[in-house]
Amino acid sequence: MNTQTETQPQTLTTTQTLSKQKILWYRFKQNPLTLVGTGILLMFIVLAIFAPLLTPYDPEMVNMSERFEPPSSAHWFGTDEVGRDILTRILYGARLSLGIGITVVVIAGLIGSVIGAIAGYLGKAFGQFIMRMMDIMLAFPPLVLAMALTAALGPSLINAMLAIVIVKIPVYVRLARSEALVVREQLFVKAAETFGLSKVWIIARHIVPNVISPIIVQVTIDLGEAILLIATLGFLGLGAQPPMPEWGAMISTGWEFFLDQWWYPTFPGIAIFLATLSFNLLGDGLRDLLDPKSTR
Amino acid sequence: MKKHLFFVVLGILILVLGACSSETQNDQGDKNRLVIAISAEAGTLDPGVSMDNQAWKITYPTYERLVAYDGDKTTVKPALAKDWEISDDGKTYTFFLNEGHKFADGTEVDAEAVKFSFERTLKIGKGPSGLYSIIDNIEVVDPYTVKFELKNAFPPFISTLAANYGAIVNPKVMEHEKDGDLGQGYLSANTMGSGPYQLEEYNKGQYYKLTVNPHSAVKPNIDTVYFRISSDVSETRISLEKGEIDIAEGIPADQLDEVGQMDGVKLVQKPSLLVDYVYMNIGKGTDALKSKEFRQGISHAIDYDSIINETMQGFASRFVGPVPEGLWGHNPDSKVYEYDVDKAKELIQASGFEGAELDLLYSDNKPYWEELALTIQSNLEQVGVKVNLTKVAYPTMREKIDIGEFDLCVGVWSPDYGDPYMFMNYWFDSDNWGLAGNRSFYANDEVDQLIRKAATISDQAEREELYKQAQEIINEEAVYIYIDQQQFTLPMSEDVKGFVYNPMLEGIYNLAEMTK
Amino acid sequence: MWPIIRNRLIMLVFVVFGVSFITFLMSNVIPGDPARMIVGPRGDQATYQRIREQLGLNDPLYVQYVDYMKGIFTGDLGTSIRTQQPVLDDLITYFPATLELVIYAFLFAIFFGVMIGVITAVKNNTKWDYIGRFFSITGVSLPVFLSGLIFIIIFYGKLGWFPGSGRIDLFMELPPRITGLYTVDSLLVGNFEAFKNSLWHLIMPSIILGYVQLSTIVRQVRSSMLDVLNQEYIRTAKANGLSEWFLIIRYALRNALIPVITVVGVSFGMLLGGAVVTEMIFNWPGMGKYVVESIGFLDFPAIMGFTLLISVGYVIINLIVDLLYIVLDPRVRE
Repeated sequence: MNTQTETQPQTLTTTQTLSKQKILWYRFKQNPLTLVGTGILLMFIVLAIFAPLLTPYDPEMVNMSERFEPPSSAHWFGTDEVGRDILTRILYGARLSLGIGITVVVIAGLIGSVIGAIAGYLGKAFGQFIMRMMDIMLAFPPLVLAMALTAALGPSLINAMLAIVIVKIPVYVRLARSEALVVREQLFVKAAETFGLSKVWIIARHIVPNVISPIIVQVTIDLGEAILLIATLGFLGLGAQPPMPEWGAMISTGWEFFLDQWWYPTFPGIAIFLATLSFNLLGDGLRDLLDPKSTR
Repeated sequence: MKKHLFFVVLGILILVLGACSSETQNDQGDKNRLVIAISAEAGTLDPGVSMDNQAWKITYPTYERLVAYDGDKTTVKPALAKDWEISDDGKTYTFFLNEGHKFADGTEVDAEAVKFSFERTLKIGKGPSGLYSIIDNIEVVDPYTVKFELKNAFPPFISTLAANYGAIVNPKVMEHEKDGDLGQGYLSANTMGSGPYQLEEYNKGQYYKLTVNPHSAVKPNIDTVYFRISSDVSETRISLEKGEIDIAEGIPADQLDEVGQMDGVKLVQKPSLLVDYVYMNIGKGTDALKSKEFRQGISHAIDYDSIINETMQGFASRFVGPVPEGLWGHNPDSKVYEYDVDKAKELIQASGFEGAELDLLYSDNKPYWEELALTIQSNLEQVGVKVNLTKVAYPTMREKIDIGEFDLCVGVWSPDYGDPYMFMNYWFDSDNWGLAGNRSFYANDEVDQLIRKAATISDQAEREELYKQAQEIINEEAVYIYIDQQQFTLPMSEDVKGFVYNPMLEGIYNLAEMTK
Repeated sequence: MWPIIRNRLIMLVFVVFGVSFITFLMSNVIPGDPARMIVGPRGDQATYQRIREQLGLNDPLYVQYVDYMKGIFTGDLGTSIRTQQPVLDDLITYFPATLELVIYAFLFAIFFGVMIGVITAVKNNTKWDYIGRFFSITGVSLPVFLSGLIFIIIFYGKLGWFPGSGRIDLFMELPPRITGLYTVDSLLVGNFEAFKNSLWHLIMPSIILGYVQLSTIVRQVRSSMLDVLNQEYIRTAKANGLSEWFLIIRYALRNALIPVITVVGVSFGMLLGGAVVTEMIFNWPGMGKYVVESIGFLDFPAIMGFTLLISVGYVIINLIVDLLYIVLDPRVRE
């Protein structure tokens, strides 16, 4: 994650970048919360990548003879109602949850910033129209919009992802547009316009790269929320479908067993919590880092 | 300084709240009050509209019907009607009403009210009307005599009158009519019957409160019955343990053993007529399912014992179908497909469809369906059939069943009235393809003839013989996978006495005879 | 001030049309139509077709939409398919429950949010700062369905301190319906038993729900406090020997709270829509539970009514926030 931070302020001149980089890195290290967040996140990434090496079990293999085994040396986190190893499912679930979270937010961020940049640069009528559309979308409560969409399109992981992308887009449009409105007035854009460069070129080459930095902070913060939203949809039965080892779906089936088989919903719950926490801590730290107001 | 203030405020807050907590434990264990936790809110309470079992818990004790189920049997006994006559051609039913049955407002239940109720149901034209469309005409002979003319002979008719939709509604409901809805809006959240109880208060999302109908012919022991809506199983269970509720519905099979061991809690266990089975889409599914050998092979590939012992936790037994044990027409010697992987492989090979792929449809309507689906998937994998799971919302599932968009689909069935017609004619008549009952989209002329004939003659022995002949063909053809016949299991407080379970009235209480 | 109100009202019309159009469109691409739910588990084709006709489902889509929109402006949101009652009546019943829960959750979030925000700002970059921030970030990261369940098992099951479900005890005499908020109604008629009881039921769900919004408020309070604390007048006052906490409360906090109002508005809206899971777990008879059950039934009149109400509420809250901002911050005026 820190590499991202370092390479970020591309628009600055090289000398500035160096000193700024050093300051950022120093301040990054200083906040223990950011470090904790990064640590947890790295752990999840490693676990997700090496999942098949870390466990001898198949996440979808049904084995009725090992139904509801409590945690033991053979099954560290116990087994579920059809005898699948819960640890294995959590490890594979990390691939799903992280993968989905990142995909969804990055797609929403991309689409949102492009629309926002266009709206901001082209200004007046078109921009106003886009913003009214976004206002309508923002007026939908995220969970409700996601629920309605998945209900409409049928419960599936892809539809849940689509719903979250749609829910998330307006935030980025707003953010990118307000940045674009500022950038538009800057000298290098004006210069490009006088050279007669095409609007598409200006948006792609000048507007988008210059609005990207607050977007990245927003992306980190949203990652946590997206993972939680996917899990909540899974919990409501509207997200990932069985036998996929999605954390929210695991809790959805597991929570009825809480009183007798406490391990079933508890471990996936802890996984969701830690993953979300890591992104939130990281996002919080990044925001401090890049927010000029808190620089003192 | 400010920080201290925060803590002081916090401290006061905790103290104040602590003071109230001690008072919440008041007057529990009242003898005249019964609290039943139900897992979902009922839809409309109008007996002329409702097809929902959840609503029947409330409507059954608040209305009366011409006839009633007799104790725990599937046969009927007199209720509003003290006696009845059936004409020789089986088309005319004459009922003689008891005098002195009164609606909750004191009006007497007479022949007009009976006529009104059935005509209202037919006029509304929703779910229950389908069943009563057999009625041609209703005639009031005198205030205590009413005559039904049927379009054609239909022996199960008498049994349908004991079901929830046979309820007699107070004709005064028309005073509450709005925009020509025949009082549907009013009755959706109120009751107007002559049953021993009436709905006194419906606090949406929280509870239904029933109190005794002051004009009722029977005097119940329990004055007030609460149906509390509790969507969370863990919370329901804790409430039962604490004695805050008397009966806990919706506890999954996995937890029943544990719950049964709690202090002061007993498990009521009775054989039910509720069956779990799997539809094999013969008419509209993949080609493999059109092969008899293939279907037989699939039927042999399912590990029934594991489903009964693990998924159902032993609260079920093998379903020897198609008519379950406990209902007349059941044949204990019917062909049963045993779990036999080798035989299954052989049959599937013989069918020429090895390596077929099937879509298995289910929803989250029943919590154990997912486990069942996963088990079937892994069972069929052993015989080289790949199963793709399709989990959809319940309304979507219904649509897919109706139009036949699936290969395999899990289902439950329980009869509304005590006649094998509910199984034989619904499940196998080729006129009933889809949601109506024939969900395997099965068509066989011989079977059609046998069961249609059985539905029109009134001699029971003769009907049983016809059904038996049909069953032999059906079971040889492996139309459905018969999984299990469930056992009705309900945890309740040991203080609750007098509950009689009738397999026709799944989840319905004989409140008037219960004590605490 | 008036232009803002006018703009928001125009916006409201946009939202009503946009939201109703989107939900309406969605309701018609769904496989599984409501007639099949009404007809019962084994409905026959004839009855099914009759019900479709009754519900107007055979009309062309635009006719259905126009009918619906006509209804909206006469206060008729249609009839719920699941409950068979007017959607408006249902919403009127369920809305106060959600509102009450959200208000208490919100009070919790504000009280602790401001407190932790102030502490983390004043103790910037110390262990108190980190503990406070960690605590608040934990709130957004905890899945409500897990924290809620754990609360129920511990505080209701094991300790018995709080009730585990519902708004009020079953046998408690209900206060008459004035506002629909039990705690308010019971106080209005002087029924203290009912007041205590309903407050008692509110504690767990509102803590669970409020905790989620805590971090947004903490962050905003902290950052604007830091701004204010660094300003010249505070430094001067401090140099003049005024007590630190006196300064914080008397001057800094007051000015720092103004930007907080914006976040507060947004988070109130979020709470209103986000109460769904909390209501499910605590058996809270609010709109969230209503809409989840409606979705399970594909009861689109109910879902549309709910979405409309929430979205309109969201716009109105934003308007109130804008107006408050103008009233409180003299710089924005004119």
